[in-house]
Order: sequence, then C-alpha cells, then structure tokens
Amino acid sequence: MKKKPLSTPKSSDPDTSVLESRALSKLNAGQYKEATDLYKALLKLADNAEWRQALSQCYLQRALAFSAKGMVKEALVLWENYAQNAEPPYEAHDHYISWLLQTNDMAKVKKCLGQLSAQQLDEYYPDLAALLGLLIITDKFSCKELLPKDSFFIMHLGFVEEALSAYRNNKLEDIEPALKKLPFRSAFRDFRTLIKAALLVPESAEQAQSLLAKIPAGSPYHQAGALLLAITHEGVALVNDLLQLSPPQIKIIEAAKNFNKKQIEFLDVLTKQKDRLSDKLKFNLALQYQALIGADLAQRYCHSALSNYPAGQRDFNRHFGAMDDFEAWRLKALLRERDRDFHGAEYYWQQGITVLKNQGVEGAFRIALIMRHIAAHQQSPEEAVSWLIDSLDHDQDDRESYVKILQYYERQEQETDAYKQWLDKSIKKFPGDVEILGLAIKAATRNKAFKKATQYAKALLKIDPVNTFAKQVLFTSHLAHARKLIKSKKFHLVEKEIEQAEQITISKRYQALAQLMRGFFVLVATDKKQGAELIAESVQKMHEGLVCAYFCATLEALVLDLQSALALKGLPPLAKDYLLSQQEMTQLIQLIHQYVDDNVSQAQLHKALEKVKAVIKQSIKQNYSEELLLSLCQCLERIQHFELLRACLKNNQPLWTKPIWMYYRVYAEVNGNAGKCSYMNFLRLRNSMENAQQEKDQRAVALIGKFLDQYHEARNPSGFDIFDSLFGGGIEDVDEDRLDKLFGHLPDDIYDQLAEKTVLITKKNPPERMLKILAAKYLSNNVHKMFNLVNDNTEALFAFLMLKAADDQGIDIGVTTEDIIECFQGKKATSKPASFPFF
Amino acid sequence: MKTPYEILEVSEQATDSEIKQAYLQKVKLNPPDRDHEKFQQIHSAYETIKNLTSRENYALFNYPEADFDALLKQAFSNAQPSIMNADYFDKLLRASIDDKTFLIGNLTKTTA
Repeated sequence: MKKKPLSTPKSSDPDTSVLESRALSKLNAGQYKEATDLYKALLKLADNAEWRQALSQCYLQRALAFSAKGMVKEALVLWENYAQNAEPPYEAHDHYISWLLQTNDMAKVKKCLGQLSAQQLDEYYPDLAALLGLLIITDKFSCKELLPKDSFFIMHLGFVEEALSAYRNNKLEDIEPALKKLPFRSAFRDFRTLIKAALLVPESAEQAQSLLAKIPAGSPYHQAGALLLAITHEGVALVNDLLQLSPPQIKIIEAAKNFNKKQIEFLDVLTKQKDRLSDKLKFNLALQYQALIGADLAQRYCHSALSNYPAGQRDFNRHFGAMDDFEAWRLKALLRERDRDFHGAEYYWQQGITVLKNQGVEGAFRIALIMRHIAAHQQSPEEAVSWLIDSLDHDQDDRESYVKILQYYERQEQETDAYKQWLDKSIKKFPGDVEILGLAIKAATRNKAFKKATQYAKALLKIDPVNTFAKQVLFTSHLAHARKLIKSKKFHLVEKEIEQAEQITISKRYQALAQLMRGFFVLVATDKKQGAELIAESVQKMHEGLVCAYFCATLEALVLDLQSALALKGLPPLAKDYLLSQQEMTQLIQLIHQYVDDNVSQAQLHKALEKVKAVIKQSIKQNYSEELLLSLCQCLERIQHFELLRACLKNNQPLWTKPIWMYYRVYAEVNGNAGKCSYMNFLRLRNSMENAQQEKDQRAVALIGKFLDQYHEARNPSGFDIFDSLFGGGIEDVDEDRLDKLFGHLPDDIYDQLAEKTVLITKKNPPERMLKILAAKYLSNNVHKMFNLVNDNTEALFAFLMLKAADDQGIDIGVTTEDIIECFQGKKATSKPASFPFF
Repeated sequence: MKTPYEILEVSEQATDSEIKQAYLQKVKLNPPDRDHEKFQQIHSAYETIKNLTSRENYALFNYPEADFDALLKQAFSNAQPSIMNADYFDKLLRASIDDKTFLIGNLTKTTA
C-alpha cells in the first residue's frame, strides 16, 4: 500500500522538533526501522496521535516487507504491533489472517474469522476468501461455522459442495448445474475452472490445457492447476513438469498417468539427476530403457549420440551389433563435416568409397552420390568438376552432374575441346533437355555455327514452342544466313530467308530487324533509293533517337561490307549540337551490348561509333546520373573504346566515390594494358579494392582484382621478397644494391621490424595521403618532388617508408633524407616525367 | 525430431508412389493456409525422400542429432489413458496446498 507522506513537524520544542523531523524524513524515505525507533522515542516524550499513527504505519510496512521475504512469524509480530498503535478498521487484516493460517495459529485464526463481517469476506478480502474456500473443501481447515452465515461465500460454498458431491457420486450431469449457480465474481471462480478442466481429462487434453491457462498465477488453485496440467502432458513436457514437483505430488501424477514400474523407475532417475544429465548418462539411459523407448529409437539415438560420447562404441556394439565398415567411415566423415572440416571428411568418404567398391550396382550408386556430395564441398571449381566427372563413371544417368559440368566449361574464357565433348555427350544422353539444348545453342552461336544453332533451336522449340531464347536464335540464324547470301550475291534466296525470319514472332523490334535486312537487300539488289528509305524507316522504328538509328544502320552496313554512306542516305542529317537524352543513351548502351553478344567484331563496332562519337562526347557533358555513366563506362570497357571511356571519365563528378571509378580511370589511362599501369596507380587501385571489399561491391572487387593480377603478371615478379610482402606484388626495376647501400648495415631483426611497419603504414593510408605525409616530413612539403622521386623508383618509396617507420619507433638507423635522395637521384634523371592526372 | 518417414507415416521401404500418395494425403489434411509450419514440414519431408536418389542422399548424408527429448516422449507416451476422477481430483487439490498457497494478493487490494 502506498503510504501518504506525513506533513512537516508541528512541535514547538526545538529538540523534539529535530527528532520529529528526522523521524518524518526516515518514514518518507522508507527507512521504517529507523523511523520506528525515532517515533518510539518521541512517544516517550509525549502521547501524540500523529506520531502514533506514523509508528503504526512503520510497523505495518515492516510486517509486509518481512512477509514478502517469507518471514511470516516476524510479520505477525509487527502487524500486531501495528494493530496496537492503530485504530480499527485495520489495514492488511486479510494478510494477517493468511499469516496466522500459515503458522497454524488456529486460536487466533478462529478469533479473527469470527470477527469478520459478510461484507469483508465477500467484498474486501477476495483473496482470503478464495484461500479459505480451498482449505475448507480440502478439509485442511474446518472454519465454515466461524464465517458469517449471511455471506455470499457460504452460499457459494454450498454450490461447490453440491458439485463435488455429484462428482464423488459419479453423477457428472449434476456438476454443471451446480457450477452454473456460481457467479463470475465468486471466491470459487478458479475452483470452477479447475473442476471443468478435470472433467475434460483424459479425452480432451488440449481443451483442458486452455482452461487451466485461465487460472491466474496468484490464485490458491494455481498449483492444483499445474498438477492437472502435468496429467494432460506427455513425454518431455511431462518430465519437465515433474521436475518442478515434490515427491508426493509426483506420486499422484504417476498414478493418474497409469505409469508402469519401469516408467516410474526411469522417471525417478530423471528427477534425481535433474539438470545434470551428461551425454554418457543419456546414452546409458537409452540402452537401459530400451524396453520403454523401443529398440529402433534407442539404436538411432545411441548411434547419433556416439559423436558426443565415442566411448560408448563398445556398449553400442554389444547391444546393437558391430557397425559395418562403411557405416563407421560414414559416421566419421559426417562428424568431420559437422565440424566444417570438409578436407578431413573427404578422407573418410574415400575410405567409405573403397568399401563400397565391392558392393555391386548399389555400391556404385552410393559412390556416385558420395562423389557428388564431395564435389559440392570443394572450394575450387576445377576440383568439383573433376569429382562430378568421376561420379558419372559410377552412375551415368545424373542429369544434374552433366549440367553442372557444362556450366563449368561454359564459364571458361576459352572454349575447350572438353566442352565440345561434354556438350555432344550430354545432348546424346539427354536429347530433349531444355537446359542442355540451351547451352548447346549458346555454344553453337558463339562459334558462328548457325546451322547447328538452328538445329538445336528447332529441337528446343519442339519441346518448348514459346521458348523466346530459341526463337531469337532461330531468327538471328535466318538473318545471318540472309546476310551471307547478300554478301555472296545469291539474291534469289534472300527473300525466302527474310520471310522465314519474319514468321518467327518474338517482338516488334525483331520484325523491324527483318525489315532492316530487307532494306539492305533492296539497296544492294534492286533500288538504292528505296533500300535507303526502308533502312531509315526500320532503324527509326526500332530506336528512340537518331544516334541509335545512325549507329545501327552504319553497323549493319559494315557487317555487309557496304559503304555506310549509302545506308544512311534515307536518314535525316544528324545535327552537330544533337544531344542524347538519358533514354537514348540507355538504348545506345543496350544496342552496343546486343551487338557484342551477337559477336560483331570490335573493329566494326568502333568504326560504327566513329559516326556518332562527337555527339556522344557532347552528350556526356550533360548531367547524366552516376548509374547511367557507370553503365556507359562498363559498355565502353567491354568494347575497349578507350577514347570515349576517357571522355566519359572527364565528366564524372568529384563526389562520385565508388571504387569502380578509380578502376575505369586507370583502365582508360593505360588503354586497358595493366603492364602500363604506374606504381602510384597500382597503389590507388589496391586501395580502391579494399574499399570495394568493405562496400561489398563484388563487381568492382572482381574487375580490380583481375586488373591487378594482370599488373603483377606483366611485371613478372623477380622474387624481391620485401616488396612482395609489402605491396603484394612484384615491382619493376628493383635495385637491391641501392637499398642494400642504404639499409644493409641494419641488423636483420631491426630491418624486419621496420619492413613490417612499412606494410602497416601503406595499409593505413591511401597512396596520395601517404605520399603527402612523406613529403611533409622529409621534403619540406614538396609533394611534386616526392612524386618525381617515387614514380618510377618504387624502391625510393620503400626507403622513405623505412625512414618513417624508424622515426615513428624512435630508432636511429643512420639514414637521412639526403642519403635517400642522393641514392636515387641518378635514377631520377633518367626517369620519365611524372604524371599523376588524378592528384 | 521426427524422420521424414515418420512425418509422412510411411515405411522406409515405401515406393515413390506410396510416398507421394502419403504426401498428398497429408497436404490435404494440412493445407498451407491452415498451418503453414506444419505444411512446410510435410513438404520438406516429401522433398527429402520423394525418389530413390533423395532417399539415398538422406540415408548417406543425414546426421541425425541425438534427440533425447524424442526418447523421453516415446518413454512416457502411454498407451493407457490417464485416470481422472473425484478421488484423484481430491488428492490433487490436497497435494496442491503448500506455503505458496497462503500468499494472497498484494496490499492494493486489501482494505480495512
């Protein structure tokens, strides 16, 4: 109960006033013990009603606090002290009675109960009433006669006794009418829920459980509800319930559950061990109580439990017979896999395979499955494919393995004979497989084997008549053939080929493509003017703006070995100040990609772009989005058009900080030749790759990584260990003599220590920043001089880093800035001028 | 933890068609819109043992975790139904009374 803070002291005596003030402050601070002493002292000075009231409150609060700690006897004494100092009606009287009941002080209980009014029992003390109800119906305490006869409690008790009597006399139909007489706010509300739940057991355990959930935790019937709930539970839930109960309570549940002797014994072990069930004990219990568990389940459990309790192997063998060799290897392999040790697992699987080799067809199938399983855990794709190929020796019908093998070879940069062989093998094995046919079509198209591609596409369309990919291949094949016929001037066959292409319905764009081919056919074979008009009409139909139309018409003319001027005659002139919209630029990018996919040569693509290059450069100056410019860069990188790529990079924004931009800058600067990449750019790229990794930009990581690999290959590492470890790659023109001259006098351990530190410095700072730091420290902030020194003399950078490492660690290595400059000056004189376009 | 065979209630020797039949029957009784979790369990069980290859894969690569709970469930799942009558109800009520029973509601409820 929330106590009311008492008001300020009113005594006129200064000493008393101080005492009173202290007492009040203790009381308000909840320090009731101290407050009690102070008020007792005050009351010795004078009998003051307010102080007495405060003292009684102190006793009451302390009584409740002791009760909350389970110290009921202390609570009783304190409450009685409270009552002596307070005026009736007393607070927490119901608590006092419950404490008396708990301490079995029946004389006082009877006295208190005899003084209770009906209103107190029915309205003020509902919890006490509920408790008394339970004690009366269980015959724990006979106090019915003491309670007010006119109370609702007594009336409701009559209904409860009626229901219980009906239950005891097995007149179940009379229970419900008796219970119905109990109103909602009865002291026997939870009793009603409990008995209703009991009546549902065992037939409707779930309904009983949901009823029991309604009994609140503070109700005297809650524990009875928990016991009944345990009876409705099975297996683990039941065991968990029993672990919370006392032995006499467990006995009742065991009897109600109809447990046999063995179950009771098992339960006894479990409840005694409680939470101390070790792997060994569980294993042994499974063996010991097989009769209860069932031999199969026990064996399965023990089998899997061996991984945590390998010492149980002998007992396992004794009970269930020895494991066969393969099973033993299998378990070991799976155990390794569970610990993510796939290499270790592979060893055990191989042992298992050796056993299976003697088991005929069934063994072969299992070998194949194991090999595929091993393949799935290989880190290197080569190893994985090798396992898959081996698996087919044992089971030749696994389509998935064929597809995976084909996909592996398809991803290789250079098409190998092995791919062709596997394609032929796969097609022969699975002639109607859509996925394999698709791969075969792609391979044939890539090799410009249009006849073969057409054949596969037709086969695929027979299985899947709406397969767009096959339709596209067929269409492209017809057009490629038409183109070939035009070039060889077999004009009488061209129209038929174009018509066949037109019959394939894919999209309007493809119809326009067929029309474009007809335009070229007319241009070459019959009427130049009409042909040019047809060409112009179709390219404009296909594309948004004039640039794409120009590019497309020019490229198609080039592919047909025609003068592009003829093909462009029908198109309106392209204004010098023409600007491509974002949409047009997007379409141009798509168009270029499409032609690359169709294996149009890079030279032809570059030539076609010549016509529109100026317009593109002009258009790039507009505020295109970063995404659009990036996709343009990607496209230009693909066709290796470095001039446009550089133009594109000139216009990107300084705020665009994606690591991929650095890649394109360097890539464009060196015309895609990683060997020409300067050391500074190498450092920049290395830094960008780290950023890309942090940003999880996998594409940038892959591109930069590939470029850096090419860089290292081009530099042909010469085994200069320090730089290898420092920069992760070889550095050209390594001059060990000069470094030896500078640092050769250092003891090995100091040298190694400083070399390690240089690695940390380069990792910590991006290249530009690192050079600025070095220039500020050693060259009076002359960054340009630092660049000149280190640009082609990478060992000079290392020398400065060694110097900085030594300075940072306070080691005097006897090398100065002047020594380094002097050492590398000769080299500098022969160096090319430094170029740092991005600094 | 139940095996896929136990979930679909088929024997380990069941054929593809028997397994499919059992799966369809189970799905009919447990459609996804009624109990999605249960449906997923059934579907996953079916995928695990639907054909010879998947069954062999399961047999080879499944490492059943030692499930002691499943063991207890089996050990204490009774064929005999529980008994509940007035006698047990009385015993249960009497056995339920302990010190906690006397802890009645907090002071805010009590009045003079």
